[in-house]
Amino acid sequence: MSTSTSNVHAHKAEIFCRDESRVDWHSKALWALREKRDRAAGSIPEWEQLRQIGSEMKLHTLTHLAEYLEEFEQNCIKNDIKVHWAKDGAEHNRIVHEILAKHQVKKIVKSKSMLTEECHMNPYLEERGIEVIDTDLGERIIQLAKMPPSHIVVPAIHMKKEEVGDLFHQKLGTDAGASDPLYLTRAARRHLREQFLSADAAMTGVNMAIADKGAVVVCTNEGNADMGANLPKLQLHSMGIDKVVPDLDSAAVLLRTLARNATGQPITTYSSFYRGPQDGGEMHVIIVDNGRTDMLKDKILAESLKCIRCGGCLNTCPVYRRSGGYSYNYTIPGPIGIAVGAQHDDTNSIAWACTLCGSCSYVCPTKVPLDKIIHHHRRLKAEAGKLPYGKSSYMPLVGKFMASETALNCSMAMARTALKILPGSLLKPFSGAWGKYRELPVAPNSSFEAWFKKNRG
Amino acid sequence: MKIALFIPCLVNQMVPEVGIATLELLEKLGHQVILPAGQTCCGQPMTNSGCFNEAKKTTLKLLNAFKGVECDAIVCPAASCLVAAKENFHEFDDSPEAQAVIEKLYELTEFLHDVAPIPAFSKPFPHKISLQMSCHGIRMLELATPSEQMGPRMNKFEAVLAAIPQIDIVYPDRQDECCGFGGTFAVDEGAVSAKMGKDKAQAHAATGAKYAVGFDPSCLLHIDGMVRRQKLPIETRHIAQIINAAL
Ligand code: SF4
Repeated sequence: MSTSTSNVHAHKAEIFCRDESRVDWHSKALWALREKRDRAAGSIPEWEQLRQIGSEMKLHTLTHLAEYLEEFEQNCIKNDIKVHWAKDGAEHNRIVHEILAKHQVKKIVKSKSMLTEECHMNPYLEERGIEVIDTDLGERIIQLAKMPPSHIVVPAIHMKKEEVGDLFHQKLGTDAGASDPLYLTRAARRHLREQFLSADAAMTGVNMAIADKGAVVVCTNEGNADMGANLPKLQLHSMGIDKVVPDLDSAAVLLRTLARNATGQPITTYSSFYRGPQDGGEMHVIIVDNGRTDMLKDKILAESLKCIRCGGCLNTCPVYRRSGGYSYNYTIPGPIGIAVGAQHDDTNSIAWACTLCGSCSYVCPTKVPLDKIIHHHRRLKAEAGKLPYGKSSYMPLVGKFMASETALNCSMAMARTALKILPGSLLKPFSGAWGKYRELPVAPNSSFEAWFKKNRG
Repeated sequence: MKIALFIPCLVNQMVPEVGIATLELLEKLGHQVILPAGQTCCGQPMTNSGCFNEAKKTTLKLLNAFKGVECDAIVCPAASCLVAAKENFHEFDDSPEAQAVIEKLYELTEFLHDVAPIPAFSKPFPHKISLQMSCHGIRMLELATPSEQMGPRMNKFEAVLAAIPQIDIVYPDRQDECCGFGGTFAVDEGAVSAKMGKDKAQAHAATGAKYAVGFDPSCLLHIDGMVRRQKLPIETRHIAQIINAAL
């Protein structure tokens, strides 16, 4: 109980909010991405059409998922790719370990995979004596800091450059006090080169899996997926079942929106297509379910599988920007994190970490109806008797109260009087979180209804 | 036209001046305005929390207040209550009578823009106002194109106000970012809600406007609480009050 209480979103967010200048810095850094996104999206006249096509194409694929996955598997096999199926995270980790153990892998370099985070793969492999090196700069930073990602595209966004400088000084031996991004990036690059050269295997996530080609697409800005996959002979790619798309044309639609919506770039620096092992090497694709089929059964939740993980909804979310990625009690934070994580949330609070403002749904390149999904999660939680913040005890009372004019009128008349005659300081403790942060409303003399009766009755 | 007012509980109890301004302006425009009895709440505090069972009785009570009422339109000066009423009526009653009520529901700005435009304003409003683009009105009622959307832009809220002589319309930074009210969110997630409200209040004040003007009284109440807590040189007003002052 005590752990789950301290994991409640509002509690963690309140702690994050105590350092206001940091909140402002965090909010501004992410809003800058949203602004870049607006400029990039606005530069293509057909942006809204692309969103519509992206949405329809993803929905189509999801409703014919079994067929496309089979087609993908068959074409992979034709291309000499080994395909594995995992029903959950544990099975995924076991499969990966078996492959690595068979090849006596001691060190693996990894790039771009929220799925392996979702499966908690790194600790699993490390316990079995395999060193896992994350090679995206942001991911390597948080790996060195022993932290999980706080954002799905810019995982170390919560760290200031001075903090990265300190970390690199300790772990990579850079100069003490150095915080120049160029200097730090160069140091990271040198460090990562050594890792690539000494790794026995490489692993990446998958942005899209192209069914009719039997190929996977990986988007990076640093070229590290290529560095990884092209050096050792053994390459692994993990993907959720939702990543499959019918053909190159559909992948092209998503490629046009993904990077624009993520960081405002026209396209990521590298969009790598892998469709077979190197000469004498092995290529494995692991296709993971991990709860996705269950989501498909609920028509509203199913739409969250249209997500292409651009992170746009996190950047625009006013709550995420002010509460930080670690407040969500799930690997993926922000609106999409609530959409896919609320079921697993034992605090039952993240579904309420949202004002339902709807900005995320409009920002989304595949039109995931995030606010509707989040609202739906609340209903599912309520129906399961899992309401946070004492709602299960007071909501029935609110229901009764609001349905009764007499109760409402009497008590509101009393509240108006109280607001008038009591000094604000006396009322504040009673008005809870409202009065803690805001001035209480100035009370009117009468209700509108009373005024209407008197003046128009 | 014959108009029935839909005055949500918050307006009725806490900001009756918004109800009065709405009534007066509609009368000045030559409409016949009635107030059907028995209105309480749209059920939004409950349904937004996921508690649909708890919302049913309240929602149906409100719906019944309008069923069979003879009028051309039902007008509400609160966007988020209107959105909730529409959705909740639909959720709990799929009868033709309920549908007839739903079809007559209009938010005030929407009504003045789409159904019965104001022919002319008789008085100037020589002040700078900063528009509060509240989420439910923008993104669910489509009162304006949300900033996330690309392509041609429309803004009914601005269009209605811009016709007032000498009015000076400006926008806060991060134009349509949520103010953080969010119903029970304001209480459950006090810290984040307050930070959002503070940022919004400051953004409005930074425009140098005299008033922050909105169409959603709940957001305005929240922003007003933040404005006064920080002693910012701006006041909140509802669109009905501005229009009423210019007629
Ligand atoms: S839900 Fe949409 S906006 Fe959010 S990460 Fe996924 S694709 Fe991007």
